Amino acid sequence: MLGATIYLQLAIAGLAIGAVYALVALAIVIPYKASGVLNFGQGELATLGAYAALVLASFQVPYGVAFALVLLGGAVFGMLIERLLIRPIANAPAFTVVIATFAIGLAIKSAISVRWGDTVFSVEGPFGDAPLLFAGLRANPTSLWIVLCTVAVTVLLTLFFRYARTGKAMRAVALNPEAATLMGIRVHATYRWAWAISAAIGALAGLLVAPVVGVNPEIGQLIMRGLVAAVLGGFTSIAGAVVGGLAVGLIETFASIAVGSTFKNLVPFIVLLLLLALRPHGLFGAREVHRV
Amino acid sequence: MTRFLLWAASAYLVLAATAASAQTPGVAADQILVGIVGPISGPVAFLGLAGRDGATLAFKEINAAGGVNGRKIQMQFEDDAHSPVRALASVKKLVEQDKVFMVMSVGGSNATGGTLGYLKERGTPLYVTTASAPEVTYPFARNLFRGASTESGRFGEVYAEFLATHYKAKKIVMISSRDEYSRNESEFTVAKLKAWFNIEPESRLEFNNGDKDFTSQLIATQRANPDVIAVFGNPPEAAIMLKQARDLGLKQPFFVGSAIVDSGVISAAKGAAEGVKGFVSLPVLPGSKHPSMQKWEAAYRREYPNLPAGRPSTFDVIAYGEAYVVAEGLRRAGPQPTQESFIRALEGMQNYAVGPIASPRSFTAKHHIGNLTLSPMEVRGGSWEPVQWSSTRPTEILKRYE
Repeated sequence: MLGATIYLQLAIAGLAIGAVYALVALAIVIPYKASGVLNFGQGELATLGAYAALVLASFQVPYGVAFALVLLGGAVFGMLIERLLIRPIANAPAFTVVIATFAIGLAIKSAISVRWGDTVFSVEGPFGDAPLLFAGLRANPTSLWIVLCTVAVTVLLTLFFRYARTGKAMRAVALNPEAATLMGIRVHATYRWAWAISAAIGALAGLLVAPVVGVNPEIGQLIMRGLVAAVLGGFTSIAGAVVGGLAVGLIETFASIAVGSTFKNLVPFIVLLLLLALRPHGLFGAREVHRV
Repeated sequence: MTRFLLWAASAYLVLAATAASAQTPGVAADQILVGIVGPISGPVAFLGLAGRDGATLAFKEINAAGGVNGRKIQMQFEDDAHSPVRALASVKKLVEQDKVFMVMSVGGSNATGGTLGYLKERGTPLYVTTASAPEVTYPFARNLFRGASTESGRFGEVYAEFLATHYKAKKIVMISSRDEYSRNESEFTVAKLKAWFNIEPESRLEFNNGDKDFTSQLIATQRANPDVIAVFGNPPEAAIMLKQARDLGLKQPFFVGSAIVDSGVISAAKGAAEGVKGFVSLPVLPGSKHPSMQKWEAAYRREYPNLPAGRPSTFDVIAYGEAYVVAEGLRRAGPQPTQESFIRALEGMQNYAVGPIASPRSFTAKHHIGNLTLSPMEVRGGSWEPVQWSSTRPTEILKRYE
């Protein structure tokens, strides 16, 4: 029988990895919400963020500055992807656009592998490696930092979509691009911002997770958990993506105790299938109503 | 008349030699074509990239020194993408289309396994450098040879002896990845611990390649309170596990399987890797302060100035040394080598090594396992350094070949 301390220790681990899944889920949801494009290259944007952190660390750039540069660089990179690669094929079938995002991801991963190989590198977290001890529990300070950053990103995004002019424009474009255009909203600029925010969050996920899992070309595998989290949350909801990510992290961690490590990776997918059978639009998604 | 007879005899000998060369695949008057197969794409591309580069440099050096019995070694590389199907297609191309003299495999067990049936049937010599799957050398096939990476069973023997005598461990927790290589190492270790030392692991846990969190396994380990924790898998997961073990306050020593004994685990886990021990089929590893290795690494970097970080790796060194073993076999096969004379030459090889960075190879006509020696290593001061320990128990894996 496991004690309460062990359950809490597992919960900390689950929330820490779940927070990373939540960030990836957010990065997937935002451009999908704004432009209907499902970005399968999102995992590699996280990988890119991790390698950017590695390069900046090699130049002794302080963590705070690296944090800002990775966010900014991610945003600029996202804008460039939208302008140069996505917009020219925006009117192509949805499948073509999805394959293009997949290709972008592969190109990023290949370029990284050519330069750095498959070696796993270490980067320092902002608060060192010494674990924090409290009430018989132990936690890596970087893990807590990831959870804190995820909460901050969620709050900022919620405020952005509720109060900022660009955020409200994105919501309008997501609802009806034609009507938004007639109301004077620049739809392409809105898409550009959506990609910028999404890529910045993806890069942030990579920067945050790098000290915990090491910098390697396989960080992009996070996209599978991010997708599960996004679908769990309803795919168009900010809160849903975050709750979905944390849920996947917790389910995975506790599943390894309940059913063993062999099957733990299956459990989130089984939960997802069961949930979709009961609530086809996810936890926070709403059924689309077409008025005729 | 005498002059005519001498001329005729000489002409006959030249023609006969040319005919023999023409019948032997891959052998021309001025070169021998060697096929190499390994993954340069897919999840273990690091094996094939290192294997290709290591062998390329060795053959370049050998050719610069005059080649083998007057012939240059020409190398033809094919990607197997770590897939048995792709490996078989690549090997078929090398044998049937390119008509290579022999095949050298620098890939993993999964892919190499896919080629064994075909090569046994064709009789083309295969020299395996890194795959440890037992079926490469057992059941015995006359044309299949194993170089650096010894059989999984030998890893199990040495690991069990080290755990029981060096650590004097009674309680051992084993954490293994679910891939074939790691499972083999783990299974053979468990079997020998039981058979030789009557030790049963306190607990056996598993994880998946690609996992990012090992808290549940480490908490279970903590509860078992073992004397030593043995981990079998790959460097990325091992590095995360080592860091999380430190975060959770685990104080027990870590022993790791051979795939983890690589500079990658140190660059990823940094201080958390200090004190970790494991075995490798080389006497000295890249990154070591050993003068021979430092000299070799400098030469390697001159040849490949744009190597990614983490290279040269263990697999660069292995492929380099194994290419020299193949070349030595070709040299001993004589001026008119055939596949049969090459096999006989390898079977007569005893303790051959290109230098102090490579472990020696010995083969016999009864078994083709070239290496039974594994070197213990420990992470000290940020690099893998040798540990003073030697196996005293004779191996039992050769009994089945008697």
